Amino acid sequence: MTVTSYTERPGHKIDEADGLSVPWSRPSPKRKGISARMVSAVTILVVLALWALSARLQLVSPVFLPSPAAVWNKFIVVARDGFVDATLLQHAVASLWRVFAALIAAIIVGVPVGLAIGISTVGRGIFDPLLEFLRPIPPLAYLPLVIIWFGIGEPSKILVITISMLAPVALSTASGVRGVSQERINAARSLGATRAQVVRHVILPSALPSILTGLRIALGAGWSTLVAAELVAATRGLGFMIQSAAQFLVTDVVVMGILVIAAIAFVLEFTIRRIERVLVPWAGRE
Amino acid sequence: MPHLVLDPHLVLDKVSIHYDGQAVPAVELVSIDVAKGDFVVLVGRSGCGKTSLLNVAAGLVAPARGRASINGKLITAPGSDRAVVFQNDALFPWLTARENVAFALRLRGIRPAERARRANELLELVKLTDAGDKRIWELSGGMRQRVGLARALAAEPEFLLLDEPLGALDALTRERMQTTLLDLWTASDVGVLMVTHGIEEALVLATRIVVLAPGPGRVVRSFEPGFSRRYASGEAIRTIKADPAFAAARGELTDAIFEGEAA
Repeated sequence: MTVTSYTERPGHKIDEADGLSVPWSRPSPKRKGISARMVSAVTILVVLALWALSARLQLVSPVFLPSPAAVWNKFIVVARDGFVDATLLQHAVASLWRVFAALIAAIIVGVPVGLAIGISTVGRGIFDPLLEFLRPIPPLAYLPLVIIWFGIGEPSKILVITISMLAPVALSTASGVRGVSQERINAARSLGATRAQVVRHVILPSALPSILTGLRIALGAGWSTLVAAELVAATRGLGFMIQSAAQFLVTDVVVMGILVIAAIAFVLEFTIRRIERVLVPWAGRE
Repeated sequence: MPHLVLDPHLVLDKVSIHYDGQAVPAVELVSIDVAKGDFVVLVGRSGCGKTSLLNVAAGLVAPARGRASINGKLITAPGSDRAVVFQNDALFPWLTARENVAFALRLRGIRPAERARRANELLELVKLTDAGDKRIWELSGGMRQRVGLARALAAEPEFLLLDEPLGALDALTRERMQTTLLDLWTASDVGVLMVTHGIEEALVLATRIVVLAPGPGRVVRSFEPGFSRRYASGEAIRTIKADPAFAAARGELTDAIFEGEAA
């Protein structure tokens, strides 16, 4: 559940006291001195400096630890000229496509399953053990089986990522459904809502914050499964790029690939948080 | 008690309520009859089963014995002929105030334009004309309860079931909401069954007050204070409350509620 803190509320509301709205709390005055963000920035700079220093002093052979500058150069070169027959953008798009195709599949399957678990005892009886079985298995463990069953094509890769996303989506949906206030459901029923209407108009929107949290966790899980999925018979993708680079000991591409994966994961997380704020502005305000 | 079906009645007939795992029934053999145009208020100490009785009338709780009926029809499930307003408003935060009010109309598949028109009328009725586009969390407690009332009225119920709707409000807002409730009741001729802790509130609003006592919940007294009829015929609420008869009724009601307390 996203908890929007008071200080994140729209600034222009803070001084409005119109007698109608609940008065907004003032943001607590910023303490002078250090903020967590500053400390984080310094930490990153220190790590970068240590990295640059140890590369410059050749503490480790450049084959194992390329300098930040070398990695940055590689980033430019691969972005422009490509690596193993595809530019960086093409690799990234191939990976993103897989992750998003899997996300959509996971939503199509996971949300109804989560609803079934949250709403009906039979649904919980059927799906709970299946999900609990699936959840702790690392993707690399079922990857070979998926390949035996579905071949080495694109569907297998998407399927592996989907499986890793299924549990977070379904379980978050279920917990959101179970958290719906009984009073809200009673209110809707006393206004004439049928069972189906209660699900559509009360349970789903009530569970939406939780579902979105599930999608955020699922994207994280899917993104980390990606490299595993691209280990086998891929011709494009960030995971494939890293894997090929590693085979030829092109360490700067490996490091660059890792950083790109991290950067994309960061952007995805940030984006979905923004989406949450737009779609479920009421979360944490009740 | 036989009555004409043409004349709408909400009837609880010798209702007993038993919750699982409790030795004493929550409510035993309580009968309450609410006619259309009545304003019946249930009062009593905690644990006397007021809210349980309201939930039976709403169709949310099944009585262990006895029957609840509306217009002669057995109550087995919630229905929009008996809209409920809860203490914690139970509004939908993903909808604006207007969309909340229009909820019952949306369930019936009424077109958006017509929905908005009727929701606006109801918002005007509860004096929230300008708040239609506000989000629920932008509203004060009193405004939320007004939205809750308007939402219930949108279902065009024959009876309104109010479960301590003013319980969470501050004293001044409460007083204002009491007149709003009376105005709505006078204007719409619905029958109201309400649960409250407020003694003065019960006296101001009720055509009939039913006093319940706990352990097991049962009816100990029934009053017909008549102050709300005086309001309906134009007398000011301050004048009514200043009337010595009001103070006397208040003492009598307080005694009835705490009767047997020592026993």
